[in-house]
Amino acid sequence: MFQVKDVTYRYPKNREDTIKGITFDIRQGEIFGLLGPSGVGKSTTQKIMVKLLSGYQGEIYYRGKELKGYDKEYYQEIGVGFEVPVHFSKLTAEENINFFRKLYRNQANTDAMMKRLGIFDARNKKVDQFSKGMKIRLNFVRAVLNNPAVLFLDEPTIGLDPSNARILKTMIKEYRDYGGTVLLSTHLMNDVDELCDRVAFMVDGQIAEIDTPQNLKLKHGEKKVEVEYNEHDAGDRPSKRASFELETINRNEEFFKLMRTKKIITMHSKETTLDDIFIKITGVEKHA
Amino acid sequence: MPNFLVLLLGEIKRLQRYNIMTASVVVALLWIGVLYLTEIPDITFIFPMLIYVDSTSMAILLVGVTIFFEKQEGSLHTLLVTPINKKDYLLNKSVVTVATSIVTLVILYLYAAIFKEIDMSFTGLLGAVILVSLFHSLVGFLLTYRSRDFTALLINMMKYMFIFMIPTLLEYIRIIQHDLVEMILYLAPTKAAIILLYAAAGETELWEIIYALTYLGVGSIVLFMVVLKKFEQFAVQESGV
Repeated sequence: MFQVKDVTYRYPKNREDTIKGITFDIRQGEIFGLLGPSGVGKSTTQKIMVKLLSGYQGEIYYRGKELKGYDKEYYQEIGVGFEVPVHFSKLTAEENINFFRKLYRNQANTDAMMKRLGIFDARNKKVDQFSKGMKIRLNFVRAVLNNPAVLFLDEPTIGLDPSNARILKTMIKEYRDYGGTVLLSTHLMNDVDELCDRVAFMVDGQIAEIDTPQNLKLKHGEKKVEVEYNEHDAGDRPSKRASFELETINRNEEFFKLMRTKKIITMHSKETTLDDIFIKITGVEKHA
Repeated sequence: MPNFLVLLLGEIKRLQRYNIMTASVVVALLWIGVLYLTEIPDITFIFPMLIYVDSTSMAILLVGVTIFFEKQEGSLHTLLVTPINKKDYLLNKSVVTVATSIVTLVILYLYAAIFKEIDMSFTGLLGAVILVSLFHSLVGFLLTYRSRDFTALLINMMKYMFIFMIPTLLEYIRIIQHDLVEMILYLAPTKAAIILLYAAAGETELWEIIYALTYLGVGSIVLFMVVLKKFEQFAVQESGV
């Protein structure tokens, strides 16, 4: 869907490039996560890809054609979801949606989406009477009201309660399952784990690593099984711990002996988390 | 529906909802108050002055207010990633601004025609208001681009008033009487504006009308091109960079 080749970008007033030769591709029908600490160039990359920034070096192809060759028609095909509320506050939710809908040739069934996201009953309320969570949900409806082929989402679940975040994530997955392509930028690694087919970690304007979350976990995790156990006559608080190589565990006598003779409290494969990978690759504490 | 029309209807609806239209009518009523308090029955001389102040300063303000509302609410972000044309977006704001100036003109002219004496061509005033308001709506864009917030816009507008609007007005009512100042003021767009508005009284020399029409007409085209070009930069800035 997108091929980004050796793209660099420098803001007019800067001395240094913000984007330093990034190369990646986004395939049709995948959710691609763009991750990294603040200020590494994620937003700039997104802004280049939604044509808010021009004057970059390198090549970006969308459906095989140079992005620079697209005019305003490009926006008929994409949807952009912002982290912050982006609506006319003195208009109702429905007036907002109707206004933006009329700008597009393709028009999705926004009533159904609003019903699913629980804001349909409030559609005749002015947006300034909406809670933050309702505004975020309305942002999503705004982003997909033209049935876009590509969806750019920036922190789509921030500010949502767990149940609405779940509904939104399900909708994003369904959108992908129907062939939609998503570029997701977020700090929430749970969302990444749940949604992304592939992720790219950005560090200092460059892509440090691209892979599937599963492969990253395998690559950066320890292939071990950790067992916490007690003697049989002890309580349920684990007092001892042992670690075994995953690859040879099926012929490890010590492991089997432990299984037979001790009281096992917990047993985990030491698969790493995306949080750990984030910190390891970027060298930055996620919420620092 | 063409996007220009969608934008136009949206802009008009927002003018109502954000009470900008109401504010504009209130200003028109204030001008009526000024006319009411004027004891001179024939207001042909004072009338263009009020229209001059309204179609210059209000045009600048109106453009600034609508853009700052959009900035503040983030709706400008989302407008920038829709399939609307930059020209349509800008022209829309100018068209609405001109329309608001026309509404003020109609209200004031009706009052003047019914309760006072006025010897001015309405058509002439209408043409002048369209051109003056259009030009100043474009000035409004440039001042808005250069202003970080609404307060900064007001300060920039005050500068414009002190440099262009007030000297022009003072010279026109002969408080400032100096040949050199008079010559220099021909460089100011406000001089062209006041000449064109007073031309509706039918006593302006032809060369002055041609000068004013050329200044504001050509000026509007040039200014629009500058506004359009600078909008790109403004959009990048407003996209959070």
